[in-house]
Amino acid sequence: MTTPQFLLTAWSWNPLLLAAGAAALVAYGIAFRREARFGYFAAAWGVILLGLISPIHALADGYLFSAHMVQHILLLLIAPALALLSLPATCSLGRMLRPLTHPLAGWLAGVGAMWLWHAPSLCNAAAASRPLFALQGISLFALGGVFWWQVLAPRAEQRLLPLAAIVYLFTACVACSVLGIIITFSPVRVCSIFMHPVDRLGMMQTIRQSWGLTPERDQQIGGLLMWVPMCAIYAAAILTQFARWHATPAPIPALLPKTP
Amino acid sequence: MSDSAASIAPVALLSESDRAHHRIAWISTVDHKRIGILYLLTGLFFFVVGGVEALFIRLQLAVPNNTLLRPETYNQLFTMHGTTMIFLVAMPLLFGFANYILPLQIGARDMAFPRLNAFSFWMVPLGGILLHFSILAGGAPAVGWFAYAPLSETPYSSLLGVDYWAIALLVLGIGSVGTSINIIVTVLCLRAPGMTLRRLPLFTWINFVNSFLVILALPVLNAGLAMLLIDRRLNGHFFLPSGGGSPIMWQHIFWAFGHPEVYILALPAFAIVSEIIPVFSRKPIFGYEFVAGSTVAIAILSFGVWGHHMFTVGLGHAMDLFFAAASLLIAIPTGVKVLNWSATLVGGRIRLSTAMLFCLAFLVQFLCGGLSGITHAVVPLDWQTKNSYYLVAHFHFVAVGGIVFAILAGVFYWVPKISGRLLSERLGKWTFWLMVLGFNMTFIVQHFVGLAGMPRRVYTYPDLPGWGWMNMISTVGAFLMAVAALLLVANLVKTLWRGPVAGDNPWQAWTLEWAASSPPPHENYHELPPIHSRRPLWDDANPDRPDPVVGSDDVVAPVTERSKAGIIAFIASETGFFGVLILAFLYFNARPGTGPGPKDLNLLKTGLFSVCLFASSLTLWGSEAAQRRGRQRAMIGWLVATIALGGVFIVGQGLEYWGLLKSGVNVSTNLFATTFFTLTGFHGLHVCLGLIALAIVLGLGCAGDFKTGRPVALEVVGLYWHFVDAVWVFVLTVVYIFPLLR
Repeated sequence: MTTPQFLLTAWSWNPLLLAAGAAALVAYGIAFRREARFGYFAAAWGVILLGLISPIHALADGYLFSAHMVQHILLLLIAPALALLSLPATCSLGRMLRPLTHPLAGWLAGVGAMWLWHAPSLCNAAAASRPLFALQGISLFALGGVFWWQVLAPRAEQRLLPLAAIVYLFTACVACSVLGIIITFSPVRVCSIFMHPVDRLGMMQTIRQSWGLTPERDQQIGGLLMWVPMCAIYAAAILTQFARWHATPAPIPALLPKTP
Repeated sequence: MSDSAASIAPVALLSESDRAHHRIAWISTVDHKRIGILYLLTGLFFFVVGGVEALFIRLQLAVPNNTLLRPETYNQLFTMHGTTMIFLVAMPLLFGFANYILPLQIGARDMAFPRLNAFSFWMVPLGGILLHFSILAGGAPAVGWFAYAPLSETPYSSLLGVDYWAIALLVLGIGSVGTSINIIVTVLCLRAPGMTLRRLPLFTWINFVNSFLVILALPVLNAGLAMLLIDRRLNGHFFLPSGGGSPIMWQHIFWAFGHPEVYILALPAFAIVSEIIPVFSRKPIFGYEFVAGSTVAIAILSFGVWGHHMFTVGLGHAMDLFFAAASLLIAIPTGVKVLNWSATLVGGRIRLSTAMLFCLAFLVQFLCGGLSGITHAVVPLDWQTKNSYYLVAHFHFVAVGGIVFAILAGVFYWVPKISGRLLSERLGKWTFWLMVLGFNMTFIVQHFVGLAGMPRRVYTYPDLPGWGWMNMISTVGAFLMAVAALLLVANLVKTLWRGPVAGDNPWQAWTLEWAASSPPPHENYHELPPIHSRRPLWDDANPDRPDPVVGSDDVVAPVTERSKAGIIAFIASETGFFGVLILAFLYFNARPGTGPGPKDLNLLKTGLFSVCLFASSLTLWGSEAAQRRGRQRAMIGWLVATIALGGVFIVGQGLEYWGLLKSGVNVSTNLFATTFFTLTGFHGLHVCLGLIALAIVLGLGCAGDFKTGRPVALEVVGLYWHFVDAVWVFVLTVVYIFPLLR
């Protein structure tokens, strides 16, 4: 299969996921009506679908460790942040979820999700088993939400103060970088299942020959993705916190203006 | 301001005999101003030393096939020149300004830890002496300032030069971390009422951010130096391929420190320029928030771009691509700063004093250096120009045209405050023009001679077309710079001898240091003007049109006790050190090797004494809780239990070492043994230090010190002890448990 063919055909139209997306959209519209921020909500679902339906998913499904890492970044860092931004400022959590709003819980959720799912045995298992893969996706999104709650909670008073948020984000960035560095330089394979993929789509030739992605380079790219672009996201968040801190007057405004 | 200063002058906090002692006690001083001056003088002294070394290098290269210097001497000279200029000139000079000016700018009486401050300073002469003592001990190091392995290893550099180099850098690194912890805590805990973090002058803010860079980057180098010394002195195997080690590892460690180091030197230079340009443009800085924010961005990004020093190593396309992208990213916040400075100039009433001239030259030269820096982020171009004089020209544009010019601007701006006398502007302008002319003659041609193919670090070169005359221009330029430096020294001597009196605020500047007299009294301030904005002296002088109030006026109590802030900063720094050791252990033991390995360790025994160590954290917590409830005896009891449990751990570790040594396994046996003894050994050392600290706290507790005062010593040592225990969680996992999972 050539690259253009692959990009056109490798879409996995998962009916369950599409139905869930449509249902969520309707539920969101009913729940928040005039306060709804459809822009953010649609963006959040767009990112989720990009990760789970587009050719990225086809590659992450046993072919490329780096594509699997892209999925992680989309589901853990980007989609939950957009989802939180889509919640109107009046929204608050139920009592059951209160313990999750402790900063330490948030930090451990965000950093722990990355470390846990890259333990070699779990990483292999999630790539091999459907239910575990689904669990992985859902847990990444949920843990990402817990992580970003500290920074992007709908009510300003539930967020960390800007300088504390900077420390929170910076230490998370360091913790993820360390894992990224380990994966990048590790002489052993983190997720050995990607060493010898089952070639269901007839893509191996293209990936190895025309894309030039050997298993070693694939893992290196995966580690680098976790290290550099993830830190760029954290760094961007740190700068928005800095801007929030310097924004006058004293009461802290929302991070971003409402979407139209 | 001089009126109010005169009215309050008679009030003195020190008696006349105190003042007499103060006048002679330069050696024992803990006053931040004197330590600042000592830093500046030490930096100036080594500037002359490093400059003379540079002149010898240029003399040797003035003509082709020169035989003035022997090749070995030449190698020693460029190594000493690089090391001296970075660690003994730029860092002390920049720390000197921070030490002197920063407490004044925030209205503090002194730095947070005056004795630590003196300790940090005296590390500089000690490091300088150690480095230069190598000359007497068989020859200076000749391995370049980044001392790439395996050249720096015993088989290739058998003399003591590299050992002295490594120890000197360790000493200097410890001093730098000390000063930076001091700066962080000073800014967090000692600001005057009204001086909120958002109102900090840019000089203080940038130095504050920079200090975080120092405490996180220097320990990386220190860990690398410790590994190098273990290789050299104890026959370890970290960086020698023959023993399974990795020379590339040294490069990663060195540049993981080395690239942040570039910004550790550049950010304080930015800080100086950000202070001077507004004053001589008679305008507030354009976009304070952007200058402050881009500093944070640079600090974060600087940790992620070290790979661009290693494009020619062969890291692979993937790695090159990511590092190239990250390196290009860092040009954005740097560019933001340049735009801010330029926009400050626009529409200003510019006064071309010598300080301002150096700032303008800085802007132009640093921009050129930055642009040629971008060419190094482009991988294929970097492959062609790396290790040529093009690279030498680039980093001298940043280091001299950027950092040194900013320091010279700072000298002309602040020496009137420090000495009370104005430097001669006439001599200053001569210095400036000679410096700019000499600098550009020296380094512009080096771009071309580099592109023509001349490699760096060669002691001579053949008479190829163009090389001879370009090198001659370079050498003449270097001597012009030397004349400029001599004029500066003459200017300083003349000023101190009989310069015109400066007055409190000769430049009509707006930050607090100009409210003190020149030089400031020992106690800095008797009375401070009210602070509502970033330019308190402007508000004071123009009550009818003050700057807009920044943020709320509430006096915020310090975030935390200063000893606590200090120990947290120290722990952050130690985390960097152990992080490197743990990552190195993981990397070197990812694959099982031959000979002794994790299988020779006894997890059960280690587990038992590990439990003791973890339990000691609980007993210490019990001691703290007892202290809070005012129960002295329980507190002392728990403390004794903590020390006993820590002692059991150390004895256990000693027995484990004894067993290994008896079966013939020592640090030089194989790669596993080297990494094992290094990691657990450094941890054990920290446990021992913790035990000593706990014993001191116990002594204080028994003497009843905690009954009256606040028991901050217990809390601080407690934090450190918990940290040491937490490190053992990671060490235990990585060394003892991971191999079982394989």
